[in-house]
Amino acid sequence: MKISLDWVREYVAVDISRPELVDRLTMIGLVAETVEERGGDVVLDLETYANRPDTLGHLGVAREIGAALGLPLIERDWPLAELPEATAEIADVQIESEALCPRYCGLVVRGVKVGPSPDWLRRRIEAVGLRPVNNVVDVSNYVCFATAQPIHTFDFGRIGGGRVVVRKAKRGETLIDLDGRTLDLAPGMLVIADESRPVALAGVIGGQASGISEATREVFIESAHFDPISIRKTAKTLGLSTDASYRFERGSDIAFAPQAARMAASLLCGMGGRASRGLIDRAAKPPKPRTVRLRLRRIAELLGVDVPESFVVDVLGRLGFRAESAAKHSWRVDVPTFRHDVAREADLIEEVARFYGYDRIPSAFTPVDTFDLSVNRRRERLARIRETLLAQGLDEVINWSFADPDREKAAAGGREAVAIQNPISQRASVLRTTLLPGLLENAAWNLNRGLEGVHVFETGNVYAWEEEKHREDLHLGLLSTGLLPGASWAEPAGETDFFVLKGAVEALAEALRFEPIAFEERDHPSFEPGRALALLYKGQEVGRLGVLRAAFAAAASVERTVYAAEIDLEALFEKTPRPFEVAPVPKFPGASRDLSFLLDRAVPFGEVARVLGKLNQPLLEGFELRDRFAGAPVPADKVSLTVRFRFRHPQRTLVAEEVDRVEQEIVGQLRSALNIQLREGKIDIGT
Amino acid sequence: MSSLRDRIEGLRKAFEESARKAGDARALEELRNAFLGRKKGHVTLLFEDLKSVPAGEKREAGQLINELKDFVQEWLRQKAASGVASVSGGGSITTHGYKTEGGTDLTLPGRKRYVGTPHPLTLFEQEIERVFLGMGFTIEEGPEIETDYYNFEALNFPPYHPARDKWDTLFIKGDLLLRTHTSPVQVRVMERSKPPIRIICPGRVFRHETPDPTHLPMFMQVEGLVVDEGVTFAHLKGTLEYFLRALFGEKVKVRFRPSFFPFTEPSAEVDIECIVCGGRDAACRVCGGTGWKEILGSGMVHPQVLKNVNIDPEKYSGWAFGLGIDRTAMLALGIPEMRYFYENDLRFLRQFGTK
Repeated sequence: MKISLDWVREYVAVDISRPELVDRLTMIGLVAETVEERGGDVVLDLETYANRPDTLGHLGVAREIGAALGLPLIERDWPLAELPEATAEIADVQIESEALCPRYCGLVVRGVKVGPSPDWLRRRIEAVGLRPVNNVVDVSNYVCFATAQPIHTFDFGRIGGGRVVVRKAKRGETLIDLDGRTLDLAPGMLVIADESRPVALAGVIGGQASGISEATREVFIESAHFDPISIRKTAKTLGLSTDASYRFERGSDIAFAPQAARMAASLLCGMGGRASRGLIDRAAKPPKPRTVRLRLRRIAELLGVDVPESFVVDVLGRLGFRAESAAKHSWRVDVPTFRHDVAREADLIEEVARFYGYDRIPSAFTPVDTFDLSVNRRRERLARIRETLLAQGLDEVINWSFADPDREKAAAGGREAVAIQNPISQRASVLRTTLLPGLLENAAWNLNRGLEGVHVFETGNVYAWEEEKHREDLHLGLLSTGLLPGASWAEPAGETDFFVLKGAVEALAEALRFEPIAFEERDHPSFEPGRALALLYKGQEVGRLGVLRAAFAAAASVERTVYAAEIDLEALFEKTPRPFEVAPVPKFPGASRDLSFLLDRAVPFGEVARVLGKLNQPLLEGFELRDRFAGAPVPADKVSLTVRFRFRHPQRTLVAEEVDRVEQEIVGQLRSALNIQLREGKIDIGT
Repeated sequence: MSSLRDRIEGLRKAFEESARKAGDARALEELRNAFLGRKKGHVTLLFEDLKSVPAGEKREAGQLINELKDFVQEWLRQKAASGVASVSGGGSITTHGYKTEGGTDLTLPGRKRYVGTPHPLTLFEQEIERVFLGMGFTIEEGPEIETDYYNFEALNFPPYHPARDKWDTLFIKGDLLLRTHTSPVQVRVMERSKPPIRIICPGRVFRHETPDPTHLPMFMQVEGLVVDEGVTFAHLKGTLEYFLRALFGEKVKVRFRPSFFPFTEPSAEVDIECIVCGGRDAACRVCGGTGWKEILGSGMVHPQVLKNVNIDPEKYSGWAFGLGIDRTAMLALGIPEMRYFYENDLRFLRQFGTK
């Protein structure tokens, strides 16, 4: 809202320096976004709040300044030159919808020659950023920007039958507005009509036909109060926002309507007009001021500072409230009709605080006498996952929750995406059902900019409709493609593969103290057929891992092989981790032996692990795969594996013979179950 | 088929011959490229040729090519492990103050493991969390798809109120929408727990915003809430001043000024002294010459909000705040555009590994 300092001075005699004024305004909540010098005047662009329509006029701002500086408001007279006829003899006003129009005032001015405004008026109109139109229109804008009460002026000669009817629009009615647009009026929208048709959209915009022109001889001035919700619905529905609707939807001052009409008439009388005698004033019921209780004790309790009683009464008085002593240290406060925002004691306390000064309220620490020591397990686990993946060399990314519906279809596992009614763009018109497309875009972005590898993860929600209900689930997405980071002169960069992400998934299950995740071949639309694994936790599917379908990657212009995984953390977090236990450090040395053997190429390593896992050998501490080799000299249908076995006895040093015995047992089991052939015999590599 | 078999045998011999001559790491790398290169490697090309082999012989031919590939890979692996790849020098010489030891050049750069980088927004959020956890707050989360009730009505936004315009909303269907702030989490927590309440609620929030350098339709927010007996505006001031000093440094000046939010009364906007120009540059890009930068919104919890969750506003009072993590991080770290956070350019993100 542009505020001219010259104009403000019509209401209050401000005489402090400009920087000081700007600062004082800021500290009562009226921030000047810009301050502009304008032909000797100063124009402030004030940020205003939705609950303070009174500051949408110079009078309201002047009242605030007066309260801040302790200056009185200047009263002005608005004299009229009157016609012999009474208004009611010229115009007939009927309100058919009192609920939407609780008050309607009007009068007629004759004898104004429509033409350019006098200089002083043009200056005012230009100061608030409007273009002067003609004296009558400029007067109505002047009143609106002076008092925040919107005024409308009609060419009374164009009001059929001299009848002004405030009613709801009928089905099929239209109105050509002042800007020449044809508005389709919906039943229920409030209009101003003459005897046959709408002539204005009440509180929003006037009609072209009844607008002021040079041919206008009689002006009908309307100053009304409309229901804010009705105005807002109408303006929103038609996509209109005018100076009038902006104020009415925030709430105009119902008590001020007659005075605003009189102001407009008086200004037109100053330009040769004469006003009809007596205002038509149709009010459903007289406006009643709201009364709110205010206790001195509550001020201290809410603000943490003792404000003197005299200050409270004085500042409320300057703001237009009337504080009447009720009980001891408490008041009954009458709230002026222009302050829709004040309905409770706290609202009054804010008024006191604003003018007392937020900077004069002391600073203290929030008292704490109990602590919530419960642990947020979910966040703790999430933090653990992040740590683990960062340590695995994956970078964290954060992608949009929005997704492209087409891209989503290509990746989705048949989940129904949640659509946004009013999206920013078509490409962001649904919510993601999977994290994979976002990660793929990250890969494309970075590969296109010359990076040779992208290894990233994201934790975030995915969303879907499921049986008429929406759900959102926390997922973890992983992606790896191209050269791995961490190359040096000693180790050339390796290319990522399937086992990088598999290792990351294994590592995070370990870090969370979960049982190992099982992997099972299972196809999925996002992944290449035969190159996708389902991740199973105790039999329940919790995610997917595999090679992204090449066509899907190519659509994001990624030509490389892309490995990716997605895990439903909600499903995983439902599980209970193993309790944490510390095992004593072994007191006695153990032994390790590497066993190299040939296995049918068709038999997966998982079978070996399964057989070894079932061994019940107390001396066998553990085993790991150390090497896998195929090709000459290994026969074509075989693969050579080297597994390292670790042996230990908890109470004594091992004897070679007992290790031999266990080893033979292991070899025997593997032979009978998987038909292995030992390659080079055992290699004893000590501890 | 037999010609393919011959080619494979020929390649194996050629590899063995070249391999014998390969004396250093560079030669090995060249050898790897010649045979296993992704586009023109000999073995790679064999796989291409496999397409034209008759269906009945494909399996056997594939196996032969795989064997050759395994052979080459294994040979290169063993050679690398045996130390051919290490750069060795002779004798003991001194260069740039380093003494070579055992034939190794000690001026060579050290070997580092790559550790991933957390996203800057995660880092900054954690920094904020740390301050509040230290003051006895706990962290709460809630749904991102919300209802009109939790996002607006419970927070004292009447239906059709123009105040909603500032929280421009992305709607889903019926009364479902994408939350425009994390305040609904506050409401949910107040509904299910009794005072004292001391929480912060971080998370994604959504607005119907046309993207520009400082506005995006999705960003990260953290809100905080305290409800207890005897909580005053003075506590709001003291706590938020402490928080902002922890974030921007001991000396930063903090200013509270009146504002309007439907869910707080009194409401306060909190500014910090411009950390770029300190108010000395009339054309400052960050503060516009005012010397102050708006950093968060706050206020005493509106009594109607307390009533909506069945907390007696005569007995309890509270204060709350909300802050955009993205914009605060931009200010604190000097990041010019908000979209950098969501482009996920690793050249940007990896800089935060040192933060």
